[in-house]
Amino acid sequence: MRLSAWKFYKELKHLENLSESRHPMFEKNRFAKFLIYFMFAYYAAILLFLGVIMPEALDGSMSSFHVLDSGFFYILILDFWCRFFLQQTPAQKVKPFTLLPIRRGFLMNLFLFRSALSYGNLFWGFFLVPFGFLAIVHFYGFIGLTGWLFGWWLLIVTNSLWYLFCRTLMLRSLLWLIIPAVFHIAIVICSFEFDVISNLSIDWLEQFIFWNPLAYFAVFIPIVLLFYINHKLQGNMIYKEVGKVEETEMKRTSEIKFLDRYGVMGEYLKLEIRMRTRNKAVRTQTLIGIALIIFFSIMMSWGDAYDDVPFMISFICLYNYLILGLMTLVGIMGYEGNYIDGLMSRRESIYDLLKAKYYFHLVMMILPLVLMLPTIFTGKTTVLMNLGYMFFIAGVIFPILFQLAVYNTDTLPLNKRMTARTNNWVQSVISIGVMFVPIAFEKAIVALFGDIWGFIILIVIGLVGVCTHPLWLRNIYHRFMQRRYKNMEALRASRENN
Amino acid sequence: MEIRIQNLKKTFGEKVAVDIANYEIHSGDMLGLVGNNGAGKSTLFRLILDLIKADNGNVVMNGHFQDKDIEIDVKTTEDWKEWTGAFIDESFLIDYLTPDEYFHFIAKICGIANEQLEQHLSKYEHFMNGELIGQKKLIRNLSAGNKQKVGIIAAMIQQPQVLILDEPFNFLDPSSQNAIKHLLKDYNQQTGATILISSHNLNHTTDICPRIALLENGVIIRDIQNIDNSAEKELEAYFNIND
Repeated sequence: MRLSAWKFYKELKHLENLSESRHPMFEKNRFAKFLIYFMFAYYAAILLFLGVIMPEALDGSMSSFHVLDSGFFYILILDFWCRFFLQQTPAQKVKPFTLLPIRRGFLMNLFLFRSALSYGNLFWGFFLVPFGFLAIVHFYGFIGLTGWLFGWWLLIVTNSLWYLFCRTLMLRSLLWLIIPAVFHIAIVICSFEFDVISNLSIDWLEQFIFWNPLAYFAVFIPIVLLFYINHKLQGNMIYKEVGKVEETEMKRTSEIKFLDRYGVMGEYLKLEIRMRTRNKAVRTQTLIGIALIIFFSIMMSWGDAYDDVPFMISFICLYNYLILGLMTLVGIMGYEGNYIDGLMSRRESIYDLLKAKYYFHLVMMILPLVLMLPTIFTGKTTVLMNLGYMFFIAGVIFPILFQLAVYNTDTLPLNKRMTARTNNWVQSVISIGVMFVPIAFEKAIVALFGDIWGFIILIVIGLVGVCTHPLWLRNIYHRFMQRRYKNMEALRASRENN
Repeated sequence: MEIRIQNLKKTFGEKVAVDIANYEIHSGDMLGLVGNNGAGKSTLFRLILDLIKADNGNVVMNGHFQDKDIEIDVKTTEDWKEWTGAFIDESFLIDYLTPDEYFHFIAKICGIANEQLEQHLSKYEHFMNGELIGQKKLIRNLSAGNKQKVGIIAAMIQQPQVLILDEPFNFLDPSSQNAIKHLLKDYNQQTGATILISSHNLNHTTDICPRIALLENGVIIRDIQNIDNSAEKELEAYFNIND
């Protein structure tokens, strides 16, 4: 006997819950589990806090809920962009069900309903419920509050369907990002230019309080339309998703011939470069790192936000040299877990690999140095400060991060989109440590010996670390080999779960 | 190169994956390893390649390499990697390289010059069927059969004295299966290398392996001398093929 629509809907819900609770990262990593609950509680607490303080803060010539309603689209815009981290499209989830004896259209409707009715769409309730309770109940009672909250929920559901539409198009090409970007920019500009928009928003959302059917009708129409459009679009995307094949032919392959002269080391360097350029997860990570360096350099060179905060200048300067290394080295050997058996069946390949990685990161330090030049020219930082941080990171912090090669046992997917990677507690402690300990160390040295000698000492300590790299890398390699069975087993197991 | 397995044992929880008291694979042997799923074939290969830790016992390689007499336990040194080539599964492949790049990478770390590599690859032209070399395709975008070919060829690049291939006929089309059979047989005859292959294909295994080990629950229950495919009947009876 076939399942009824309701039972199938419940079955889908059950499967989704299982997929979340049995996620390999979630299952294996207590810290990750704690972190997820903590982040949920943290954001919920922030929203609750804002929901409690804002009614009074916004009260002025207009009622606070009128102020909030006048800019409701700002909340929807924020909600839209946050969804990229959290919400999958039905077309991405539908693959395992396509061969079951269920009509595809029916299946798609169920997924769309699941998406619309997801608990995630209630998250803004942490803000809206206390806000409405303090701002509306006093004037319009609980019935008015309920109508207002219901109206808001419908708006958020509309937003989720709008997101699904845009996200599905983006699965075809990232260029479709232009649609929501232009739409949202247009809304923001218009809201500044024309008061009529905020007045209309106030009038419309106020009608929710009075349970005016026309106000709800105005939300139902886009919901129905977006549902229909999504149904059609997602239906088409199923074929693409099911038959998804990577672009199989590369347009060009670079031989990176200049590295040939370095023999085996050159080959490992080529491997490192190709890993970074040919795999989505690693490439995105590198690009984000570079973007952050550029952003902070510009902010520091031509902005004045940090001028009076020397700690922030030191922190950002250090962070700019650290970020590229930190982003990748904290998960060192994780990407190599994908082909660890191949590496381990070659003599000393792990040592050569680590050495090449170190050289790669040393060369990559030129990038922040160049990008930080404007901060030197504008007098925000000094040459000595830049060199001090650069060598200290290369000779002290990198060796600390490289120690993780011995202890990292989670294989990271190379070519999937960069997901919210969760570090284990060792990685988290080291990440936080390497960001703050050097600053504390530098401040102590500078306090003792003055600016110039302080940074010279940092340079000297760093140079010692750089020059002794064969020794400490060899030590890491030996310790890795001692733990090789344990590491290989765990890397293999986590690779199979990816 | 001779391989000696001594009191080798590996368990996963309650399950005994490998339990071999003593077994010798002579220099120049071409040994076929057969057994049902879960019999322990891949685990035995991984133990020989020091990719997993044995609960007990050891694997010793014994022979001559570069004019030196050698006798080593594989878990105590990495020296054996110089004369051993292996392909077990995709975790041996660096899938974001093209086949050319991967072959060059392996050749370089094995100390093989480009000209030597080109010469070597030319022997596999028929096997590669024009689908690997000169293509701008990454290994991850190849078909399962072509990935298998890349793995096998890469394992043979350094002209190993010990060659270990786990299910080399998997995913290959009939003509490639035939080609690899001939390649392995010729390689064994020309170089005297010790070759270990596992397979579920009894015909292919009996066609090329003069010696066959039948594995059951991690134990070698029969060591069959296969003269003129004489093992075929015995294996068919064991696997109930003609029932």
